Amino acid sequence: MIVAEQKPLDEIVRMITPYENVMIIGCGTCMTVCNAGGENEVSFLHDALRLAQTRSGDAYHNFYELTLKRQCDPEFLELLEERVSSIDAVLSLGCGIGVQAIAEKLADTPVLPGVNTSFMGMTKESGIWDERCAACGDCRLEDTAGICPITRCTKGILNGPCAGTKNGKCEANMEMDCAWIQIYERLERLQQLEKIRRYYPLRNFRAIPRPRRITSVASDVGGGKSG
Amino acid sequence: MNSVVKNERQVIAAGHKEKKYDNSLVPPCQDACPLKMDIREYVDLVAQGKVMEALQIIREGNPFPSICAHVCTHPCEDKCRRAQVDSPIAIRSLKRFAVEFGGDRMVQAEAETKHSEKVAIVGSGPAGLSCAYYLRMLGYTVTVFEAHTEVGGMLRVGIPQYRLPREVLDTEVYRLTQIGVEIRTNTRVVSLDVLFELGYKAIFITIGAHQSLKMGIEGEESPGVIDGATFLREVNLGLHPVPGDSVAVVGGGNVAIDAARTAARLGAKKVTILYRRSNKEMPADPEEVKQALEENIRIQYLTTPTRITRNEGKLYLTCVKMKLGEPDTSGRRQPIPVAGSEKEKVFDSVIIATGQAPQTPGDFRVSIGRGSTIQVDPVTLTTNRQGVFAGGDAVTGPATVTEALAAGRMAANRIDDYLQHRYPSSQKVERGKVNRELKPETINAIRRIGRSEPQVLPPELRTKDFQPIELSYGWEEAINEARRCLRCGIGAEILFQDKCATCLTCLRVCPYHVPYLDEHGTINIPADQCQACGICVAECPANAIVLRNTREKRLIDEELDHVFRSAAESKRESFIIGFCCQYGLFGTGTLGGLWRGTKAGVWIVPVLCIAKVEPSHLLRAFEGGAEGVFIAGCGDQCARDNTAAQVMKRVNKVKGVLKSIGIEPERLKLFIPGTAGTDPVTEINEAFEEISGSFLASIIKQEVRD
Repeated sequence: MIVAEQKPLDEIVRMITPYENVMIIGCGTCMTVCNAGGENEVSFLHDALRLAQTRSGDAYHNFYELTLKRQCDPEFLELLEERVSSIDAVLSLGCGIGVQAIAEKLADTPVLPGVNTSFMGMTKESGIWDERCAACGDCRLEDTAGICPITRCTKGILNGPCAGTKNGKCEANMEMDCAWIQIYERLERLQQLEKIRRYYPLRNFRAIPRPRRITSVASDVGGGKSG
Repeated sequence: MNSVVKNERQVIAAGHKEKKYDNSLVPPCQDACPLKMDIREYVDLVAQGKVMEALQIIREGNPFPSICAHVCTHPCEDKCRRAQVDSPIAIRSLKRFAVEFGGDRMVQAEAETKHSEKVAIVGSGPAGLSCAYYLRMLGYTVTVFEAHTEVGGMLRVGIPQYRLPREVLDTEVYRLTQIGVEIRTNTRVVSLDVLFELGYKAIFITIGAHQSLKMGIEGEESPGVIDGATFLREVNLGLHPVPGDSVAVVGGGNVAIDAARTAARLGAKKVTILYRRSNKEMPADPEEVKQALEENIRIQYLTTPTRITRNEGKLYLTCVKMKLGEPDTSGRRQPIPVAGSEKEKVFDSVIIATGQAPQTPGDFRVSIGRGSTIQVDPVTLTTNRQGVFAGGDAVTGPATVTEALAAGRMAANRIDDYLQHRYPSSQKVERGKVNRELKPETINAIRRIGRSEPQVLPPELRTKDFQPIELSYGWEEAINEARRCLRCGIGAEILFQDKCATCLTCLRVCPYHVPYLDEHGTINIPADQCQACGICVAECPANAIVLRNTREKRLIDEELDHVFRSAAESKRESFIIGFCCQYGLFGTGTLGGLWRGTKAGVWIVPVLCIAKVEPSHLLRAFEGGAEGVFIAGCGDQCARDNTAAQVMKRVNKVKGVLKSIGIEPERLKLFIPGTAGTDPVTEINEAFEEISGSFLASIIKQEVRD
């Protein structure tokens, strides 16, 4: 899941200043799960913005709410087109992808980001999320016992642990587990310690040509490739 | 600074409709009640201190609630799921509290006559009176015929006064005459044809089951031997029979217990109940049995008389010991005499209370079935004669008052159908029921609060006369008892499955471990486990969860609007809004003083548990012009002990917003009275001073800056 956190209220207030009619758009998928931009957060932000403008004595904005199932699919965005005719700006509580998807759909409407998209991660417990994947495009989790050193080791090294490990913790943050110690312990448990005794060559650090695109294999089948 | 809310909230829901209907399920208590009363609702209203509203709900479902409040056998309590946690809610006592404190003696307007047809009711017992009440409310002219001098049937001649004070009965009968029901006492109906000739279009026979059954033993007809029903009738009609010093009562039902306790009140020094089975099989209400034992009434189980002989004014009972064999058709184990166990016991009088049956005059020409009961069609309640209906004990054999009231109501509806030439309306679509047992982990999470029983007079005082022995609850007792209700069937439901992102927040925040993931990966909130605390409703990031009963959420919005209007009218410079637990405001007095004790400028929004206060309510309160906002929970009397932490999280979240828009976060406070050991009124007044102070300071700062 993509994890984000809502931008500070004063930043949002500043962003929306030029626009009279603002539509706050939530996203019903990742942003709902990470509690940054689901329907509940959309209403909360709406109330907070109204309070902010009431207190500043300048009741200029009109706010509208809408939460889509997912902002990153064009079909869901079709719901938007008819509703934004009187809107001066969209404040998207979707991740960076959602913001761009809306911008792509609404050629004439400014789209503002309401959240800082942070990482891909998982829930640790209610209200706490941890990063787990860097989307490097070259997954090595088989060799590292299902623990990603790219994201979970501060240095992101492939041949660890480094000398900065102490009592299973990382020198960068003594609260944080050393990913390589965890990898070692898990490989030991799985009786695959030979995997840590090897040297892993450098990752491909060449600049990846962005943006990347994945084309489903299925769409090539028609070309007779399977033959 | 007070600004009017400029922007009307404009919400465009993406194809989601607002929930308007009530989706609550039938709780076990309501299901068990013969009258299907909305028990959960009135118990909750009592818990909120809204006694008049509670009584209104009670009256909607029961024609004579003050009678039921005294004598109902409360099958609802037997089914109450609180028993799985500690002990059931004292529903009958709460009803009695509502009846006595809710201003029940009010005058009733005469019902409007809408139909020309007249209906005759033969018998003025609970079924007859109930039928008369409902037919009159439907607009029929109704006459009740009663053979005795006084109205009430078994309520009058069967139930002893210490259980049902006669003023209570008289008041209900008076209310009945106020709505225009004609009651003719001393009028024994011997023939139905005469009633038809008098112009009655329908007749309801509800003559009860007053005829005691004989044991069929030798000497049963001796002087000094009397049957239970006759004995109670004589006492209740003021004939003062003298049972003597030592009395035996044969039987194990409520009539036997009533007869024994009545005998004790007439001066009998030694009263012994002889029952042929063990106490486990005894059909009498356990509470009554307990009270009888307290009154020094002895019960000899597994004992039955086989012969009575009379000699020099004394009755000699030959009693035999019994043992229990295989269960019979009633499911109870059959008593078998133990050979050679005969013993002789001596008494001054013997009361035989081993069952009763109806005695229907032959001239009624209605067909009689098993146990001398009148045979009726179970749906239409019609007898074999056209226009003649029957119900109550006369049809079922001896049953409870509440069952009779229900039978009377059903008869009224069927008679209405008959007179209006309708087929009996088919059963309404049944709402879902709550019937599964609570899960152990849910039970463990529910705070244990013992049942409080209303006070009862001490045994030595109560056997002196026929005064009612049970006292009513006091205000606090009643409210604390009502708050124990688990509120089965009005909990949370995921109304918008398409909105649900399966984020598992509900599963994680539920203090009662209710939501679960099924094998398809769908989250479920089982209605029969949910404790209706409302935490998941407020926390759901997708707004997909609602309470089955929408009223509680609406209440906060309505009250908040009301406060804004009142505050605007009062034209005060500054005011603060407190979201206070409605239960605490009445229940224990911890918050009770807030209504009176806090300063002018403090407006209270009652909420049904602070777990239902959402961050947006707090923001709206500030937006509406409040200089300060506080939340006050009900403290250590709370029926839940796991809500404050969740509310604290919400408070902190709102504080963050306040800070970033230049409002001191200290203007928002959460109080859990009783935890700090100080008086909540003082605490809140202090907070008010503090908030007003910072309000002044901010004005000064503003002026300095300008």
